[in-house]
Amino acid sequence: MSGATQTMQANESNTSMMFKSTGRELVNFVAGLLILFVVWYLGIEWIASDPDKANFADFGPIPAFNAFPWLWEDGIIQDAVTASGYRLGLGLLIAIAIGVPIGIIMGTSKRFREYSNAPFQLMRMVSPMSWEPIAVLAFGLAGATVVFLVAIAAVWPIIFATAAGLAKVDPAWFKVARNLGASRWHMLTQIIIPAIAYDVLTGVRLALGVAWIVLVPAEFLGVSEGLGYAVQDAKESLSYDSLMAMILVIGTVGYLLDGLCVLALKRYSWHK
Amino acid sequence: MSNGAAHADAIAPAVKTGELHAVWRRIFNGVVGLTILFVLWWLGGYALSANPTTASFADFGPIPTFHAIPELWEEGKIQSAISASGYRLGMGLLIAFMIGVPLGILMGRSKRFRELSNSPFQFLRMVSPLSWMPLAVLIFIAAWDQSIIFLIAIASVWPIAYATAAGLAKVDPAWFKVARNLGASRWHMLVTITIPAIAFDISTGTRLALGVAWVVIVPAELLGVTSGLGYLIKDARETLSYNELSAAVLIIGLIGWFLDSLVAMIIKRFNWHKGNEA
Repeated sequence: MSGATQTMQANESNTSMMFKSTGRELVNFVAGLLILFVVWYLGIEWIASDPDKANFADFGPIPAFNAFPWLWEDGIIQDAVTASGYRLGLGLLIAIAIGVPIGIIMGTSKRFREYSNAPFQLMRMVSPMSWEPIAVLAFGLAGATVVFLVAIAAVWPIIFATAAGLAKVDPAWFKVARNLGASRWHMLTQIIIPAIAYDVLTGVRLALGVAWIVLVPAEFLGVSEGLGYAVQDAKESLSYDSLMAMILVIGTVGYLLDGLCVLALKRYSWHK
Repeated sequence: MSNGAAHADAIAPAVKTGELHAVWRRIFNGVVGLTILFVLWWLGGYALSANPTTASFADFGPIPTFHAIPELWEEGKIQSAISASGYRLGMGLLIAFMIGVPLGILMGRSKRFRELSNSPFQFLRMVSPLSWMPLAVLIFIAAWDQSIIFLIAIASVWPIAYATAAGLAKVDPAWFKVARNLGASRWHMLVTITIPAIAFDISTGTRLALGVAWVVIVPAELLGVTSGLGYLIKDARETLSYNELSAAVLIIGLIGWFLDSLVAMIIKRFNWHKGNEA
């Protein structure tokens, strides 16, 4: 009885502590962003106080926030996010579909790992946007080129993270499974995939970071929708307020996607 | 004592031949791996030239590419591209380092700063660096070199800051206590504890930063400037010289690989964690 009350009390204080810590996190989150906006506001005020640079006032946070309603009503934000989101998603999907199997081969075959090291390191360090002219010749000035660039940038972190995850798998598990009569397919679905899910996700998070960097310049050229195009368009029409608004959108969407990866990582973490 | 020394002498050559063996094995594997890559590339180029509709792209093959490299070298294009990009990369990373390390130390040491800086830093980190480009060009009034350096610095400052903070989090607080008890000043603690302890993590962060900077530098040089590796790509594309284009891609890969290995060597040098290097 008293044991039950104790656990209940412990549970209660646990939940209240959880609330407290999420409350604290929320306060810090809001306070941190507020500080950023104040610094941004003051910085632009300071720059624009120089009469030569008075036109920089549009870079401030207030004009940027004022630009949001009409950017939204014109559908510019929605179109940019859906177009870029589709390319990013497809590119990452291709990178996972290619990268995970290659990573598994690298992790299980020593010979493949040794031979592939040099060519993969060389190709990994080709800055992804250098493939752009070749991609344009192959796919034309279209979304497919952007998808290709995202995929070629994102595939390397996924390959190497998958291989690293596999290297950490205890070989005894395979022995046990083999002794219990598991087939190769069983070993793949019952041991390898659950064991490396965490590392693959770590790789996906890194891949997302690189893909996010590549996406914007890839959309500077040739396409007429997407986040990169919106930035380019705002710059060319000299509307600095919508430029800053688009930067805010890019940062926010990126933050959300990264946060999503972190949540998924927490879910799949079986390492202590 | 002399006994111990003799023992060490006896062991040393065995270790050395083992290391030498491993080095030769790595070189052999590297050569085989690269040969396979070039054979695949050659087959791709051959497939392009065999098909009449794609025959004009046969210059992408490895043999025309290897012909283009000495030509580009004699024209001085490779050297000037490397020195222009190298300067921008070096300056950008230096600035990122000078801002990122103190920022990381601050994040690691002050809980309040860490908590408050989390949301704005995560937000700024996830702003795709090239979206700052129009802003950079306006701020530096079309001084392209500075704009590119700014873009590299803003892209690479985050990995350095976060790696520094993560490194500091792993430092045993007892070391500071001991140092304080032995009368160390704040400065002493910084140079004799903090910096040696986090050198490994900072170099890991630098490797990530280099990777990001390397991704950013090429698109940054595709616009506006007339020098650098990005321009080498753009120039080859505009003159439709496909062999120069693939030569530029190859050169970018080789230099990136070289720089990455250099940082990897530095990481090994600073590694004092046992066995848990990634």
